[in-house]
Amino acid sequence: MGRSECPEVVLIFRGTHQVLSAEKALKRGGVGVRLIPVPRRLTSDCGLAVRLPEPTLALALETLRAVPLTPASVHRLLATGEYEEVLF
Amino acid sequence: MPNTKDYIYLDNAATSLPKPPGVAEAVAGAICRAGNPGRSGHALSIGSARDLFTARERLAELFGFRDSSRFVFTENATGALNQAIKGLLRSGDHVVTTSVEHNSVMRPLRRLESAGVSVTVVPADATGTVDAAGMIAAIRPETRLLAVTHASNVAGAVQPVETIVRAAHARGVFSLIDAAQTAGAFPIDLSTLPVDLLAAAGHKGLLGPQGTGFLFVREGVPLVPLIEGGTGSRSEDDHQPDFYPDCLESGTPNSVGIAGLSVALAWLLKKGVDGIRAKEVALVSELLEGMRRIRGAIVYGPEDPSKRGCALSFNIEGADPGEVGRRLEREAGILLRAGLHCAPNAHRTLGTFPQGTVRVSPGPFTTRREIGKFLSAVKRIAAG
Ligand SMILES: Cc1ncc(COP(=O)(O)O)c(C=O)c1O
Repeated sequence: MGRSECPEVVLIFRGTHQVLSAEKALKRGGVGVRLIPVPRRLTSDCGLAVRLPEPTLALALETLRAVPLTPASVHRLLATGEYEEVLF
Repeated sequence: MPNTKDYIYLDNAATSLPKPPGVAEAVAGAICRAGNPGRSGHALSIGSARDLFTARERLAELFGFRDSSRFVFTENATGALNQAIKGLLRSGDHVVTTSVEHNSVMRPLRRLESAGVSVTVVPADATGTVDAAGMIAAIRPETRLLAVTHASNVAGAVQPVETIVRAAHARGVFSLIDAAQTAGAFPIDLSTLPVDLLAAAGHKGLLGPQGTGFLFVREGVPLVPLIEGGTGSRSEDDHQPDFYPDCLESGTPNSVGIAGLSVALAWLLKKGVDGIRAKEVALVSELLEGMRRIRGAIVYGPEDPSKRGCALSFNIEGADPGEVGRRLEREAGILLRAGLHCAPNAHRTLGTFPQGTVRVSPGPFTTRREIGKFLSAVKRIAAG
């Protein structure tokens, strides 16, 4: 899970059910996603988060809106390993 | 455990047998690889969470509701009914219910009576059918809930739930359907039926393992959780989450059973509930027809098979129902249930309290040949 050339974003949801709903909708919508444990730096929650390439974020958010599903927050993974919140 | 092949199993109203192909394998598979769903980020925890998610999505598809998060898993119909009733009603509230409810509705209501909830029990007619107008007339300004069984587990009568639910909805009163006897066996469409709460077992018509059930909760129904605890979500907060399904699903669930239920739901979706209903109506017609020709047999409930679920109660004049049940098993290997079926008021309505009835309940795998054998055995017993 090294930092690829393509910047990645992490989407946080409320609960596992929302994460899996998001994953299902995004896969259907043609957005490649991965489930990861929620990074501790983002919340102390012990759940899962959705990770996807940043260039697909706009399509991802649009796909989720149609469900409807809204992430609790979105974060850009920086080259330093830090996270920066993305407002949407 | 005796092999069910040695028996004719006609006790599907208690729990369905056999289960569809693949259910047992799914349970066996899950017990070998189910991590704690949604608790940890590893493969086996995610895998188990996916099993639950898939089962929930299948429930939503089967019941025609777009948001699967509103289907909360419970350990049985009783758990779902307790959550619905005790999670909604408070001191000063009034509830209208019927005289054919199962104890899993009546006992929570009787307990709440001592906590200041008032209960009106609308009597059913001699066939065990409740008049919708009677239920609607019992609504008062402080009525919070109309609770009705979809089909009686004793007389088999299908209740006019559609009329009752719509009337409740129009008056701003919540409605609860106990679909323990109908889920999976009757088409139920939550996109058109405005019921607020629907409780069912996973191990009866839904053909899953015992230890499974669910409660459907429509948006806007203010249910307070009966049980709080770990959900795997919002762990940083020591307050119960307020979102579904987590708010009503604390503690490690029956992931193993739900994995089996999921396969059963896929089977039901493939077969189609309409087809299962048609088959069961045909079997019940055959039963009714056959029983009518047996002298000394008294059948309870509606005459019209389309107004019945799959449970059919009967007695043999002068015979104790328990003894009839025992003879059917001993002499013909027929397994069914005799007694009060956890619904004493339903028997008072039918005039069969306290001795009860013999209850025969075919399922989707019952054959006409088995019904024929059952009828011959009853005929022999009735002849003395
Ligand atoms: C009408 C009705 N309600 C509730 C129940 C309780 O179901 P469970 O045993 O799954 O809790 C049953 C079955 O026994 C039933 O027939």
